Amino acid sequence: MVSQQQHRRYPIEWVLPVLFIVFLFTLFPVAHALWTSLHRVMVLLPGTPFVGLGNYRNVLASDYFLVALTNTVRFTLFSAPLTVLIGLGVAQVLLANFPGRMIVRSVVILPWALPGAITAFLWMWIFHPSWGILNLVLLKIGLIDSYIPWLTDPDLAKMIVIVAHTWTQYPFAAVLLMAALGGVDQQLYEAAKMDGASGWQRFRFITFPQIKAIIVILLVFNVLVGLTSYDVTYALTAGGPGDATILLSFNIWRESFSRLNFGNGSAVAFIVVLLSIGFLVAILRALPADIFGEK
Amino acid sequence: MTIPTLKRILLYLAAFLVFFFSASPVLISLLGSILPDQAIFSFPPDWFQFGVTFDNYRYIFTGEIPSSYEVKGAIRSMISDAARQVPGGMLNSTVVAFGVLVLNIAAGAPPAYAFARMRFRGKQLTFMALILAPLVPAVALATPVYLMIQWMGLLGTKAALILVHSVLTLPFTVLILSVFFRKIPVELEDAASVDGCTRFQVFTRIVLPLSLPSIFATGLFAFMLSYSEFLFALILGGEAKNRTLPVVMAALARNTDVSWGLLNASTFLAIIPTLVLVVIVWRFVVEGIIVGSVKG
Repeated sequence: MVSQQQHRRYPIEWVLPVLFIVFLFTLFPVAHALWTSLHRVMVLLPGTPFVGLGNYRNVLASDYFLVALTNTVRFTLFSAPLTVLIGLGVAQVLLANFPGRMIVRSVVILPWALPGAITAFLWMWIFHPSWGILNLVLLKIGLIDSYIPWLTDPDLAKMIVIVAHTWTQYPFAAVLLMAALGGVDQQLYEAAKMDGASGWQRFRFITFPQIKAIIVILLVFNVLVGLTSYDVTYALTAGGPGDATILLSFNIWRESFSRLNFGNGSAVAFIVVLLSIGFLVAILRALPADIFGEK
Repeated sequence: MTIPTLKRILLYLAAFLVFFFSASPVLISLLGSILPDQAIFSFPPDWFQFGVTFDNYRYIFTGEIPSSYEVKGAIRSMISDAARQVPGGMLNSTVVAFGVLVLNIAAGAPPAYAFARMRFRGKQLTFMALILAPLVPAVALATPVYLMIQWMGLLGTKAALILVHSVLTLPFTVLILSVFFRKIPVELEDAASVDGCTRFQVFTRIVLPLSLPSIFATGLFAFMLSYSEFLFALILGGEAKNRTLPVVMAALARNTDVSWGLLNASTFLAIIPTLVLVVIVWRFVVEGIIVGSVKG
């Protein structure tokens, strides 16, 4: 009987293909990158001598490291909570009943499904300092007298890359939060209403505890995505103006493929991984939630 | 005004805001694609003084130079031959993404069933390892994956991209499919098993036919992710005629000589298949997951 299965041996013939494909392309590359980060691997120099933590020292002492680290951390600390908050708001709206709900629900995942280059272009079209539509609209309705240099002002550019990145990520958060919110027992709300609980109290004491686990998962996920994100920001500002929006992830790429110093590139990558682990532990400490327990 | 009416109005307003926030960049791009460049660059801005035009679309498909670029003294940008790679890029992306869809279903459905219905030692551990695998930063894996593909002799082939994209999508496919398989009434599987079906026969004769729409829709989800993947498509892609759409679009967006109208037209063309997929995926995958959680 399917429904009364006893513990059985490992069903290797069912799971082997997927494990083979996924782990072959995950474990070997991770091991290879770790090895590279501990050796001098430069295309221009012969041999690959062991250098211990030398590559890490190079990276930490480089001129870009501190700026890129600060930018990456700021980018992540703003975009991850913003993504979850917008996702929560959108999920609440999409669960309500209104005409045209299917259309709005479908359109909402569009930002998540678009290629990064297209996303960057769409936002450039809005924020372009000379012919972006935002300046045009603000000028027409009389809010500004002269064009605002959105992408050429360092502070505004930092803000805009966060907006553009968050735009690509909130749909996924909204979908998972809709599933979580849909699972909350409606009778609890009825009971709370009869006890005279306000809207905020109902959210704080009924909804939040039940969706807390998914919020923590989404925060962790978005922090990891934020720390490694590069495509939208790179296509939008290429790190500029100056070094206002350079991220650590650009430097993985730049060290490896334009300076051809694969040792340093892998060292940057593992610094990003360490940073991810640090954030992960901090979030799980600050917001303990029974993620892996029973439902 | 009564309180319920006010609530209604606030809800419609919120729904409109969500729609506007998600769709307006795309709609603006559509608008930009049918305006001649001299309208876009005009100052003080007046976008509609030159009417609308479909020349940009005609250029992408036929190579016919838009008539507005012949106007003497018109403010115009260069046009870029790269825009003509858009239809080819869409075709390449579609072929790769279809391969990813097939491989995801073939390799993803059996383990999803095992995770949904079998009890075995190490199940939790295997599942967690599979779900955590895609969280390793892809940029860090670029070089070793390139070397592996080179060693396999697959550099510049579509097979390489299908394989690598499947690595990125399979964990999600297995996760979603096991949610769907769990919702099939277990009594049906019991009945077949009592009638003497083996485990594998239960899977191929009962479970697969019953969940065919969900399986196909989950495959489309993998299709969608593959269709928009950029990094590996760039480094493993090879020569120009093999480029997938995101690579073509990135090259186009960094080309400062390209006409804005043309760029908008290419962008909008590139969005259309995604838009169609998004509707199907939402209808069959996302609604399925949400309903599953409500009942579960």
